[in-house]
Amino acid sequence: MSKTRKLVFMALLTAIELTVWVIEGQIPAPIPVPGVKLGLASVVTLTAMALLGRKEAGCILLARVLLSALFAGSVSALLYSLTGGVVSWCVMAALLGLFPEKLLWVVSVFGAIGHNAGQLAAAVAVTGTPGLLWYGPALLAAAILTGAFTGLGSMYLVRALGRYRK
Amino acid sequence: MKRKTVFWAGLFSVLFLLAAGLALLHGGGTRAVISVDGREYRTVDLDAVTEPYEFTVQTEWGWNTVRVEPGAIGVAAADCPNQDCVEQGSISDGLVPVVCLPHRLVIEIEG
Repeated sequence: MSKTRKLVFMALLTAIELTVWVIEGQIPAPIPVPGVKLGLASVVTLTAMALLGRKEAGCILLARVLLSALFAGSVSALLYSLTGGVVSWCVMAALLGLFPEKLLWVVSVFGAIGHNAGQLAAAVAVTGTPGLLWYGPALLAAAILTGAFTGLGSMYLVRALGRYRK
Repeated sequence: MKRKTVFWAGLFSVLFLLAAGLALLHGGGTRAVISVDGREYRTVDLDAVTEPYEFTVQTEWGWNTVRVEPGAIGVAAADCPNQDCVEQGSISDGLVPVVCLPHRLVIEIEG
């Protein structure tokens, strides 16, 4: 893939991820636990990581997080999504090479767990209430479910987009 | 390859059940928010309370002594004229807040 093609592809993925994020935000959460959401945007991040590489996925993720703060109009939420995003990127980047493509969803589950753990840690640090850690089990359970779901999503997406591989 | 998929699916299923069970057992955190004149004054995690304790909230209109117990919170004493807040006793759910109108103090439980 030429440099220009790659740049355009990355820009497209960023736009897709942002759109998915905005649309998902309009859907009311089915579970009344703050911080629990499907995280459909992570489908794009993991797909980008598997197709283009870790650095490229990181760029797309960072761009999406910063843009999402503009679209949501809240700077405090930026801190949480940034922490969650960075932690999950680190986890997935570390694990990506260790699992074959058929087990990409496992990487996604660990990434989701990292995302929620990062957000919880940020929430505890910001509010200064260690009692928030009681949300941990609920967030862990949610991360396993949503991570597996979005992971399967990126697995099929990677398969379908195989020809765009770097 | 197939065995590995089964392994990870099984591991995550067990982990999910454990975490979900723990979350349900705990029933989510109950947090009491004490606010004075509409502004948040202090929050108390009622689930983290093991021993009952009291503290006094000094406002410009008077004082209220708040009593915190495991899972419950209320006003134990106050120098307000009507003593409504004291007579209300302690609350343990978010249905009705404890209110001391003369001191503009509200104790609410959320979560």
